[in-house]
Parts: sequence; C-alpha cells; structure tokens
Amino acid sequence: MNAMHPDPLVRDYLGRLDAAAWPLSADRRAELATEVRDHIEAALAEEGRRDEVAVRNILERLGSPQDIVAAEASRQPGGAPIIVNVASPPAGTWGPLEVAAVLLLTVGAVVLPVFGPLIGLLLVWMSPRLGRREKAIGTLIFVLLVVLPILGLIAVVPGGSAPVSGWMRLA
Amino acid sequence: MEHGAARDSLTELRRGVLEFCVLALIRDREEYAFAIVRALGNAGGLVTSEGTIYPLLSRLRRDGLVTTRWRESVSGPPRRYYRITQEGRNALEAFIGDWGRFRGAVDALLAGEGQGR
Repeated sequence: MNAMHPDPLVRDYLGRLDAAAWPLSADRRAELATEVRDHIEAALAEEGRRDEVAVRNILERLGSPQDIVAAEASRQPGGAPIIVNVASPPAGTWGPLEVAAVLLLTVGAVVLPVFGPLIGLLLVWMSPRLGRREKAIGTLIFVLLVVLPILGLIAVVPGGSAPVSGWMRLA
Repeated sequence: MEHGAARDSLTELRRGVLEFCVLALIRDREEYAFAIVRALGNAGGLVTSEGTIYPLLSRLRRDGLVTTRWRESVSGPPRRYYRITQEGRNALEAFIGDWGRFRGAVDALLAGEGQGR
C-alpha cells in the first residue's frame, strides 16, 4: 500500500478509492491509485495552496471514487480483463451493514434490549461479507448477551428472592 | 422527454466522444495526463468527473491507440507522457468523418424542428 498522504481529506478519498476499486486487478488498482494521487499533487501544485478549500475543490472535480471505478468497466475488445472480481467484495472488508450489526449486537444489548441484538443478529446472517466463523461468533454474542440473561430472569422472577429454588422449579 | 432523460443522453454523448477528443489533443504532440485533463476542462463541459479520464487513458493504452513513456520533470516526480499511435490516428480520422456526418444530420433535424410545421 502507498505511504499515507499528509492531508486527512486526501487520505480519506484515497482510502475510499481503494475500497471502491475491489473489482479491479491488483495491478490496475495500484496503478489507478498512483494516477489519482499524482493528479491531486499536480492540482495542488497548480493551485499554489494546500488548504482545506483547495483540497475539497480538487477532490470534487475528480468525482466520486465509485464513478471513477465504474468508468474502468467499459467495453474491451480483447486482452486480459481489468475487472476480475465480479462476485461479492472480499470477506473481511466491512461495510456499513456489518458495523451496524456489531453495534446492535453489543451496544444494542444495553440501549435496545432484546430487539437491538435481534436485529443485529439478523444483519449478521444477512451479510454477504461475513464468513461462517464471524456469523458463529455473532450468534454466540447474542446467546451470551440476550438468551442467557432471559433464561436467568425467568429463573429468578417466579422464584421470588431465591434463584436456586427457581431453577429447581424449572428443572 | 424529461430533463433527466435529456441529461442522460448528454452524458452518453460525452462518453462516446471523449476518447476522440483525447486523441485529438495528442495528435501533434505528446502530453501528460494532468495537462490532458486541464485541456479538456478548458474546452468546456466535456468532463464532469476529472477522475474518469484515467480509466479512459488506461483503455486507450490497452487498445493500442496511445503509447506512453516516462519523462523527468523539474517540478516533481517523473511524469507519464501519452503519445498517439498510428492506430490512434486511424481511429481519430474515422471518427472525424463519422462525427461530421452525424453533426450535420442532427443539426439539420434540429433546425427543421425549430421552424415548426
């Protein structure tokens, strides 16, 4: 991966470009990143300043990373394909769905009990980016944070102040 | 026809002619990518997203319509210069003929519409 760019806006843009470029071959992805990086540098040199306004204008004129990558997928008469990954994005890269799922499973257990983690678990199983191992871990978290406490509550409440007798009653 | 549909047509038009505009820019001299982007921008309304030039240049290289070479630059890192090939010239000549006919036909039709029946 290229060295980090000093400007945070540019760093964010290049990061989004790298993420959006997952369908491209590794060679072309690296080449495109270099070309865009060089473009930004040339544009900044031309502006003569590197403040936030200048950077934002340059990035806006560049266009969205999605549009740039979409332009890669135009007709090719022959030769090696540039678009090599037509299936789902590589496992391990998380999108907003996965982040929401994790948040709902964990924080949601406190903020929105039962329903939050339930929706989180649903998202985990729906996600194309999470593998079986991640889905199993998600389910385990759900069991620990939701199912066990519910079973514990069922045991405690009818039995009054004696949890032990409650368990015995269930058994 | 809605405005949106007309704008989509314009986008498609731009996409169709852009590679030949690029070839025309380097017909007589080699240029580096950023200069090409700037020249297209100055031409007015041809490029909405400057970044999409790079996939276009990549495709022109793959199709053999341009070649590139690296040259030292006094103001920074080496630059990649784009130069037209004979195949590129042939493609450009063919397009110029097609475009002339296309433009003539469309202009005539549009003029006819304006006068009404």
